[in-house]
Amino acid sequence: MQSLGLDVLFKGSNFIRLLEGLWVAVRISLISVVLSIVLGIPAGMLMTSRSRVIRALFRVYLEIVRIMPQMVLLFIVYFGTTRVFGWDLSAEASAIIVFVFWGCAEMGDLVRGALISIPRIQYESAAALGMNQLVSFRYVILPQTVRRLIPLSINLITRMIKTTSLVMMIGIVEVLKVGQQIIEANRKASPNAAFGVFATVFLLYFLICWPISTLASWLEKRWA
Amino acid sequence: MEKEVILQYLPLYREALLLTLRIGWQGVLLALVFGVACTWIRQLKIPVLKSLVTVYIELFRNTPLLVQLFFLYFALPKAGIRMTPELCGSLGLGLLGGAYMAETFRSGLESIAPIQEESALSLGMTSMQALRYVILPQAATYSISGIVANVIFLLKETSVFSVISLMDLMFTAKDLIGMYAKTLECLTLLVVFYLIMLLPVSVFGSWLERRMRRAEFGA
Amino acid sequence: MKKNQLIAAAAAAVLGISLLSTGTVFADEAFRTLDEIKESGTINIGVFSDKSPFGYVDENGEYQGYDVYLAERLGEDLGVEINYVSTEAASRIEYLQTGKVDIILANFTVTEERAEEVDFALPYMNVALGVVSPDDAVVESLDDIGEDDQVIVISGTTAETYLVKNYPDIKLQKYDAYAEAKTALENGNAAAWANDNTEVIAFAIENEGFTVGIPSLGSADTIAPAVTKGNETLLDWLNEEIVALGEEQFFHADYEATLLDTYGADYEDTLVVEGGAVGTVETEAE
Repeated sequence: MQSLGLDVLFKGSNFIRLLEGLWVAVRISLISVVLSIVLGIPAGMLMTSRSRVIRALFRVYLEIVRIMPQMVLLFIVYFGTTRVFGWDLSAEASAIIVFVFWGCAEMGDLVRGALISIPRIQYESAAALGMNQLVSFRYVILPQTVRRLIPLSINLITRMIKTTSLVMMIGIVEVLKVGQQIIEANRKASPNAAFGVFATVFLLYFLICWPISTLASWLEKRWA
Repeated sequence: MEKEVILQYLPLYREALLLTLRIGWQGVLLALVFGVACTWIRQLKIPVLKSLVTVYIELFRNTPLLVQLFFLYFALPKAGIRMTPELCGSLGLGLLGGAYMAETFRSGLESIAPIQEESALSLGMTSMQALRYVILPQAATYSISGIVANVIFLLKETSVFSVISLMDLMFTAKDLIGMYAKTLECLTLLVVFYLIMLLPVSVFGSWLERRMRRAEFGA
Repeated sequence: MKKNQLIAAAAAAVLGISLLSTGTVFADEAFRTLDEIKESGTINIGVFSDKSPFGYVDENGEYQGYDVYLAERLGEDLGVEINYVSTEAASRIEYLQTGKVDIILANFTVTEERAEEVDFALPYMNVALGVVSPDDAVVESLDDIGEDDQVIVISGTTAETYLVKNYPDIKLQKYDAYAEAKTALENGNAAAWANDNTEVIAFAIENEGFTVGIPSLGSADTIAPAVTKGNETLLDWLNEEIVALGEEQFFHADYEATLLDTYGADYEDTLVVEGGAVGTVETEAE
């Protein structure tokens, strides 16, 4: 144990602190995913709009999300917005803004894809049955879309949890940062703490993300 | 914004861009190699190796690169395995990407109905021929958007390299901000350089996707 | 299609750039005044969480160290709760300029460049630079550094700026955080680590197999609390507080509580700055 540096995990409240750090990561992702779904559905509907301007704007938006690393967006939102607009965003709020900015684009694109993949005849049949656009969307289109979206949004949760590891760079004390603090506080007593702590953090991430992503791919196959 | 500051920083960003590109593309190449190797092992259903491949893919798909790098760079030396930051960066990207590529290849192969292989065999093709002329071209067409997405994902992931002391674009910006506090100039340059690095890939990827789709239908 | 995408991308670029370049119009009120802090009941203090024994987190999750000891006292005397913000060296100025913390107490060395960006209060510690290296290849002069050798520095520290300026040929291996730099040195990734001499001395004492080959490098500097530029009410209060604390020999007590275990008594008089007065010069606060 000593040589692998696992002993430090059981000192004081170290292990609980790691778990608390993990919860910070999970909390940020859950809030972000929920907001992304709420905003992503209207965004996806707008993406199928006939207006060229609206579609062009969304294209720009999608391209930014596709190209800019989340790390860069985090820095711009956390430090940049204060400078440019004078907003004082907390690190956690900045993280959620960036994740929703990203998640909303992904959800929107998925919703758009799902919407255009539903054959035209379904819209026409619904209209022929006397449903207006909203009613047909609610009873015909949405149920089919949701089935495709659920596995993908569950998948998005795991990707967000993984990306939360970046928030340590803007000062949020999450699991990785707690890990570093533990290593630092025990450098003298357990010089190999780095091994035990980082291996544990690695496993913790895996234990959170793996069940969720397995569920997502199971649902995807089942509902395909 | 001060123009002189930007001009003064440009060479540093250029150097960072080259480093990011070099390690990024090494990572992408490694990812392709690992991905192909894993897919191959899975297709041949080699008993023990096949399970190992699954464990590897699940482990690396379900953990962040940052944590993987911490483990590779800071934890492994405690067990006697030491790497240079550059090697660690490209290996880390390669391991992460390999797991993603393997999944992309698999779903590409799975998209081809089994009857196609059976038909090819019944036409007298060997299974190698069936793979070469029937399965692979279709699977490649199907996978291309996934592969492009993975490449962009991997190149973006280089932004966490600061933890292993690699002066990539992100770290260069952070470092300059830390030393001289010219935040706006540094962040602007950062955005511009990521656009320079990734826009061509993104545009080329979309072009390739469309071309492959045309190949699919036009043939 | 291709053209559309190019246009979109170009628009994205323009949007991004213009968003950033509209900058420098940010509010003058990037900080909170003394009264606003007192009213809110909480003060945000930026400290290190991985630089023992100056600022670190113990196994119970509590912030500890020389800087934190002072922070605790400031909170007490202001009558407010403290919200510790864990900071890295390179983001200290940024945190102040964006008003995300009220005070930086993260072993912040006073330099001319930094004083243009933030306001420093009276100093509470002496510091110079130092270089620590493994016992089997002690670096005693920076000229010993070979062409292929690398020297670890932490991004955003005075050691980094000093080496970049005075030894541009030395290859630097930069890290964001103390924890990373130290683990890298332990793992043998570089020939030496240059940092505040206080920190490298502590490292050599606490870790077997390392020696401080260069105990003092560069100019003799001081470490002081920093506030956002222009935050006069808070700055004045800090200066008065530091002078007042000097009368009760507060920083000696701080040393004995937090640094004695590491350094022993030998460094007490060289490190501690009492009442904001450096060396034999009397207080300049009046």
